[in-house]
Amino acid sequence: MIRLVGLSKVYAGGHVAVEALAGINLEINEGEYVAIMGPSGSGKSTLMHILGCLDVPTSGEYFLKNQEISQYDTDQLASVRNREVGFVFQQYNLLPRLTAAQNVELPLLYSSVPIDPRKEIVAEMLAKVGLGDRGHHRPNELSGGESQRVAIARALANDPAILLADEPTGNLDTKTEEEIMALLDELNEQGRTVIVVTHDDTVAKHARRTLHLLDGRIV
Amino acid sequence: MNFLSLFRLSVVTLRHHKSRSFLTTLGIIIGVMTVITILSLLEGLNRKIKEEFSTLGSSTIYIQKMEWQVGPGRHRLDFEEIRKRPNFTVEDAEALAKLPSIEAAVPSIGKGVGTIKRLGNEAQNCQLNGTAEGGDLTGNWVVAEGRFITREDRLHRRLVCVIGSYIAENLFGAENPLGQTLDVDGHRYFVVGVLEEKGAMFGQTQDNVIIIPVSTYLKYNPLPRGWRAIWGGLSIEALPKPGVVLEKAMEDVEELLRLRRGLRYDQDNDFGLNTQQMIMTALQGITSTLWIVMVGIAAISLIVGGIGIMNIMLVSVAERTREIGIRKAVGARDRDIMIQFLMEAVVLALLGGLIGIIVGIGIARLVSVLVKFLDAASPWWTIALGFGFSAAVGIFFGIYPAQKASKLNPIDAIRYE
Repeated sequence: MIRLVGLSKVYAGGHVAVEALAGINLEINEGEYVAIMGPSGSGKSTLMHILGCLDVPTSGEYFLKNQEISQYDTDQLASVRNREVGFVFQQYNLLPRLTAAQNVELPLLYSSVPIDPRKEIVAEMLAKVGLGDRGHHRPNELSGGESQRVAIARALANDPAILLADEPTGNLDTKTEEEIMALLDELNEQGRTVIVVTHDDTVAKHARRTLHLLDGRIV
Repeated sequence: MNFLSLFRLSVVTLRHHKSRSFLTTLGIIIGVMTVITILSLLEGLNRKIKEEFSTLGSSTIYIQKMEWQVGPGRHRLDFEEIRKRPNFTVEDAEALAKLPSIEAAVPSIGKGVGTIKRLGNEAQNCQLNGTAEGGDLTGNWVVAEGRFITREDRLHRRLVCVIGSYIAENLFGAENPLGQTLDVDGHRYFVVGVLEEKGAMFGQTQDNVIIIPVSTYLKYNPLPRGWRAIWGGLSIEALPKPGVVLEKAMEDVEELLRLRRGLRYDQDNDFGLNTQQMIMTALQGITSTLWIVMVGIAAISLIVGGIGIMNIMLVSVAERTREIGIRKAVGARDRDIMIQFLMEAVVLALLGGLIGIIVGIGIARLVSVLVKFLDAASPWWTIALGFGFSAAVGIFFGIYPAQKASKLNPIDAIRYE
């Protein structure tokens, strides 16, 4: 499913170049549930962004479904973000002026799904995350847990094979954290590949495989 | 994203900043308003000019001692030479009438006779015209009752007249003027015809005419001398046959007159051929000059308005960096973002255009109400032009901010606070 070969990322900031990732070799199979852990500055978020095609590596190869993503242009990367991977952020990153349903609809708009199936998918996704009746609310009327559920529903809208979650419970209390993690467990049980970045052991315990990152290397 | 959802998205976003959006469009509003107002007034003026001239009989050739001096520019003329040019004669008219391209050619002469009285009624500012048979064609007159001047009237120098509708109403009232007499300029004429109303031209009525045979006129009125000879003498009105191009008829007339006057090939014409087309062309030349000046002013205003739009769009892109990042993260391509922001700029400009068109037409209407002889006209193409201009401004000045938005790196944008 995912194969990284000698992947590195260097940020050329000011006088010193910072090496966020230093030669990552990694293989993740379909249906796996992986947690990536590490202290802040270890490069785990950078890795996640590259996996999610939000950022591009400086060198190395990234194969997704046997396609070499590192050679893709911006339009192709947008298409991968749209269809192949779903991204869940710590900050939820919902558009504040849109309702929950409209936020979930967003990826479908960019993949030009016609209006009727679009409405159907939105309703289905909201029901899946347990927010079937909250679709008309705006993000500021939702709790943190609800917001994150909307974000997960949005990530699932185009039925991606991979779900990437970057500190998905970082802003939530313990009880809500349990609920969100249970949702991710359930999605993995349904066959979806789930990758979670976290520094929290209780979160990492949900995963079946844990990778530790330190100074841009897998240890 | 399809066009409609993009449009809706733009409207929603712009409504979120109502006063900012309105202020941004102000430049476009003023620009489009100016264009629409001026175009409507000029178009109204042009139509008015056409309409007024159409009452004259628009293809008649007026053969006179000199050409009408119309249009901008200074003309240096040797009036002494013009004054001494030979007079036209009734025979000239008869010869011209025989040209295959000419339907009718008649001698014409006239003067103002002031107020005419009859049985306690009076008609002011009357005009006495001498003409011949066919003068109704060249002068674009329609006889409402009775008949026009005939060949016999002219040959026998009869004391008969055909009167305009203004004279008929004011001097005869409900009476039938046919067969009655009218005293004009010291002579008594029988009324043999009444003309249909022609209406006013530039506020001057044309229905104050008393038309008599040219021979009768010349019997009592000597040809003017001195400088009055330039315009006051006999002239000839010639009407081309239907289907004959005006220029062709004018060539024939010119050739025949040169022949009759024995002009050598190296001598200039000692006469002028005038048409209403010349005046119309000159007037339209003036209005088109005004047009260019006004469009220039409006263009400057549109450019200023466009810069306003560009400015506010750049602010908007900066404010919404995070939104752009989120949209890219869920799969928006560069061009999706580009089109979204471009659409916003265009909607903003079109909104300004719409308001400008409405206000512009409103002002033009107001001017029409205040200024009597000016009827503003706002044909569809002025409105299309208003929308076209504003859309063009929106696209032109929206491209740079939209481009900037589309090129943002998703991860940098999403982290932007």
